[in-house]
Amino acid sequence: MSESGVAPRVADVRLSAFERIPWRRLILIVLAVVMGTVVVVGTYKTLTLDDAFSLEGWKNLVVQGIAQGAILAMIALGYSLVYGILRMINFAHGEVFMAGAFISFFFIDAYARSGFLNQSPILALSIVLVVAIVSSLSIAVLLERLAYRPLRNAPRLVPLITAIGASLFIQNAFRGFFGAQPRGYPQPDVLQGTISILGVDVRRVYVLVFIVAVVSMLVLRAFVARSRTGRSMRAVAEDREIASLMGINVDRTVRTTFALGGALAGIAAVLYGLAFQQVVFTMGFRPGIAAFTAAVLGGIGSISGAALGGFTLGILQAVGPQLFLSGFGIPSPNSVRDAFVFLVLVIVLIYRPGGLLGVSDPEKV
Amino acid sequence: MSRLRATVTAGALAGCVSIFLALVGLTDRFADLYFVGDQASFGRLMLVIAPFTVGAILAKPRVEGGEIRERTAGAAIGIGALAGAVAGLLLGAFAVFVSAFGVERINAVFVNVTPSMLEFITFGQPVVVGALILVAASTVAGAVGLGYRLLPVAVRKPVGSAVITVLVLGFLQRIVPITLDQLDLERNWLYSRSTGGLTWFGAGVVAAGAAGLSIFKQRKGADIRRRLSSRGTDDAGMNPLRAILLLIVFVILLAVPYVTGKVISEVLGTVLVFALLGLGLNIVVGYAGLLDLGYVFFFAVGAYATALLTGATLNTFTGSSPPALSADLNFYLAIPIVMLIAAGAGVLIGAPVLRLRGDYLALVTLGLGEMITVLIASPWLVPVVGGPNGMRGVSDASMFGFGFRDPQHFYYLALAFVLFAMFVSWRLAASRIGRAWTAMREDEQIAEAMGVSTTRFKLLAFAIGGAIGSLGGALFAVKIGSLTPASFNVFVSIQVLGIVILGGLGSLPGVVVGAAVLVGLPGLLREFEEYRLLFYGAALVLVMLLRPEGLIPNIRRSRELHEEDAAQDKWAGELAGDEHAAVGVSPEGESAG
Amino acid sequence: MTTVLEVEGVRKSFGGLAALDGLDFRVEEGEIVSVIGPNGAGKSTVFNVITGLYAPDGGDIRYFGESIVGLRPNQIAKVGIARTFQNVKLFPNMTVLENAMVGQHCRSKAGVFGSVIRSGKVKAEERRIRERAQRALSFFGSRLAGYRQDQAAFALSYANRRRLEMARALSTEPRIMLLDEPTAGMNPRETIELRDHIVRMRDELGLTLIVIEHDMRVVKGVSDRVVACDYGRKIAEGTYDEVASDAKVIEAYLGRQHGEDG
Repeated sequence: MSESGVAPRVADVRLSAFERIPWRRLILIVLAVVMGTVVVVGTYKTLTLDDAFSLEGWKNLVVQGIAQGAILAMIALGYSLVYGILRMINFAHGEVFMAGAFISFFFIDAYARSGFLNQSPILALSIVLVVAIVSSLSIAVLLERLAYRPLRNAPRLVPLITAIGASLFIQNAFRGFFGAQPRGYPQPDVLQGTISILGVDVRRVYVLVFIVAVVSMLVLRAFVARSRTGRSMRAVAEDREIASLMGINVDRTVRTTFALGGALAGIAAVLYGLAFQQVVFTMGFRPGIAAFTAAVLGGIGSISGAALGGFTLGILQAVGPQLFLSGFGIPSPNSVRDAFVFLVLVIVLIYRPGGLLGVSDPEKV
Repeated sequence: MSRLRATVTAGALAGCVSIFLALVGLTDRFADLYFVGDQASFGRLMLVIAPFTVGAILAKPRVEGGEIRERTAGAAIGIGALAGAVAGLLLGAFAVFVSAFGVERINAVFVNVTPSMLEFITFGQPVVVGALILVAASTVAGAVGLGYRLLPVAVRKPVGSAVITVLVLGFLQRIVPITLDQLDLERNWLYSRSTGGLTWFGAGVVAAGAAGLSIFKQRKGADIRRRLSSRGTDDAGMNPLRAILLLIVFVILLAVPYVTGKVISEVLGTVLVFALLGLGLNIVVGYAGLLDLGYVFFFAVGAYATALLTGATLNTFTGSSPPALSADLNFYLAIPIVMLIAAGAGVLIGAPVLRLRGDYLALVTLGLGEMITVLIASPWLVPVVGGPNGMRGVSDASMFGFGFRDPQHFYYLALAFVLFAMFVSWRLAASRIGRAWTAMREDEQIAEAMGVSTTRFKLLAFAIGGAIGSLGGALFAVKIGSLTPASFNVFVSIQVLGIVILGGLGSLPGVVVGAAVLVGLPGLLREFEEYRLLFYGAALVLVMLLRPEGLIPNIRRSRELHEEDAAQDKWAGELAGDEHAAVGVSPEGESAG
Repeated sequence: MTTVLEVEGVRKSFGGLAALDGLDFRVEEGEIVSVIGPNGAGKSTVFNVITGLYAPDGGDIRYFGESIVGLRPNQIAKVGIARTFQNVKLFPNMTVLENAMVGQHCRSKAGVFGSVIRSGKVKAEERRIRERAQRALSFFGSRLAGYRQDQAAFALSYANRRRLEMARALSTEPRIMLLDEPTAGMNPRETIELRDHIVRMRDELGLTLIVIEHDMRVVKGVSDRVVACDYGRKIAEGTYDEVASDAKVIEAYLGRQHGEDG
């Protein structure tokens, strides 16, 4: 059986030509160098152009980035929570977000028409918020129950494909229900205009977005850290089997996790609607991917990671294209911004999948 | 009591599904598509399909305390009827509510709630009467559903086949009559000119035929299957029965374009392009187990590379201009170059990316696919690929003056490429490479420990799959003759993924069938087109939940279920003695502990 | 006698836990060496390190005198080191024969082009792969022969799965086999049979073997030498009798005896 002439010597195997050259590392280094050069050169040129972007313009971009980042962070939390507990990417989370936006639209639209929105904005917005939370939460829990729970022990490919299918289905169901026309999310008068903060004119809406987002995330953090349910969540995230042996109801914990992620997405949906004022059935796709990128960027599975990633990516995508590319005379329409987000995703996953916080992935063994 | 609760819950669920179908617009949309006669429309079918299905599901025998409790026929029908009634009640209540609340007000939110829709679901009667009819219809549907399941198998299968065949032929009313016309066959006995669907007579014939076939299959099916799958020695090629079958299929395939006419051939051409893409993705996902959500990348590379290499020009506002780099090669010379470019790109991209784990890989590839769609539409690449205006003047792949852009000619070109891809896939699957891929797919770490270089083989799958995908792109470019970035988007990737999954990962005929269903049907039936993605999504979810192997499962994955029985029967007698001998008692007996 | 494998001062930690803490031993050609030790002593870890699944934190591993640290698992299989796993790791949906044929992967080289056109050379190679795989399977008598070869691996009995795993390792045509608890979960009759198989691997196939075992009857019956480990270090080495009566070994398994004779 073991014919001595057959097995090659160690030295030969080590030096087998193709595998001797570290192709992968080479490509990675070359890519990194190229991108780094583009970034540096682009930035330099942008900042030294004759008709350079004004400081005012940059400030506006940063502010916008922070607001967008806040929303991204909230959606990213949904991804991180679910990933932490199930090691699965809820591809349909963008649709959870969209559902909250769409359904809450009908309410806020009615309130705007009847004047209620401007008479008692706080009450009106609170109701709208509750509606959004309930909608997103319901979709999230339904998803879990119908599409994910039966597949909890299936090989990884299967729930991911299911998630993609669910995402398509929900998107198009909403299209079927409510039509393909984009709807304009009304903005109460009290949120119009700007406020001056630290010498910068910030849209009032953005201030609201920021405050609500930060408060929500802090509440979530406290909840997960202190409450009994939060403890269960962390236990199930560590080791599902042992947690169930310890008496934790795994199904209920998973459902709660989805519900929490959904609730946050619902809040994000209202904030998005108020800030960017457009609602359409496809609105979940791009923010969904962006939020996932944010979650990975910060460190998937970690709450602080999602928050950090959200704000970082928000600022990065608002400022980045303008900063790096306009030096080359390349305009930055929205599509470039989207491509930029995808680029960030690709870069993070290739070079540092653990994200900024360096979350190690136990599955990687 | 819990049985009662389960029944009511099931009925409620069915009711929700029926309401969903109405809200999403499917019920109304199919209201005029008749499958038999002038009353049986698919829209009406939508009203009762949910209770029927629930009835069928509820027919499963209960297991109580480890025993299977059979139901009496009466109790069973009662359950089905109850579930149906609940469903009908919900749907009826919905209709009443809509009418009471005001159709226009609801229409402001739910765009499909229109007076005509309301009229349809109440059968044109006053609302309450309509609601009652709905309840009655659903009750009957539920009972029938359950009753159907309780029929003995010998009756159930033919009945089921008959009904499904009638439905399918009714559904294909845009295709089959035209085909019959082309063949100069009389069709009015089968399809009614006034309603579009089958005539009652035609439906009767079809049903009888299908039932007959089903009975035949029950009696002789196992025999035939056995004869089809037995082989001689491995190198002796395939057995004669199978060869004849394949030959027949081949002849039919060749005849199709002239039998079905230009319009249908055009759709079939698209189906074949997607089948080709599916075959390529099948190598990446089905054989090597790498989930690629950005397959549009190779499609785009193939299309644009072909355009550039065969002398296409850029569309500008003023006319056309030559691209920054181009060549004017013969299509058939360009093809190998295009494939090489795609394979090379696949390797370059794959090298950093393929070591990522499943879901991360999926998202990275999605990102890359998106990036390329942005890139080809972007202003930076306008000098090369024409930006949003695109390119025109792609070669028509003419050979000796015979152009392939005509739909009926294109079909043959596409068919040739598809057969080529199938051949390559088939050979690879049966080779050492296919074995390595399967091992990698089952357990990557162990495959590596057994000597398979996973990086190399992942790259190989990616490169080959990419090359085939680029072929699809090349074909597409030839078919349309011009390219715009709008054709290259994430939905292409998702569609191809859907095709591969629906058809059964790793199964070659399955991919073709998947393409036929997912691309062909929407192409031929307008109603389907609008709801295409909704069905895709539902199909993906349902397939994953119910039958991950897809429509035509890859033989390997269900082989063990069938062959083992046959093999064991065969060997049981021969080996009985042998086996006992091997389990020898060692002369030393058991040594002391 | 040539030294096939030499493990020198190998260290490996996971987080704060040191699984291997300076382990040394060597195996000469044609020997059967058993590695014993309480659970957690690092035995499977050393296999994982040898076969390249983990990189050691320190120390060296030499195969016929050349260091193999840093080689990838598929390269390790290629140079002739094969192994089985503690929890049987087959390819469940592949048939018995296919599992064995995968082992021949590193001894064959058909490429894409050849596989597609099925040249004479490729066909011959496939035949050879098949024969060699069948030969490896037949090492275990009729248990893995005949109709069994077309059965899916997941359908096999536990003992047959273990045998299949070994056959698969054998079909990589190795020079040294690493068996990780090969008789775990087997009944006494199967254990004896397997013990004989191990000895036959050395006698008939000329293999060198390292066997991790807990069943001392097997250890006694096959080993030329025994290496005892605890806490990632070698604590004793010698013949079975020498090691079995070594005080440190007894202490490792049973805990320290207080003032009692061993």
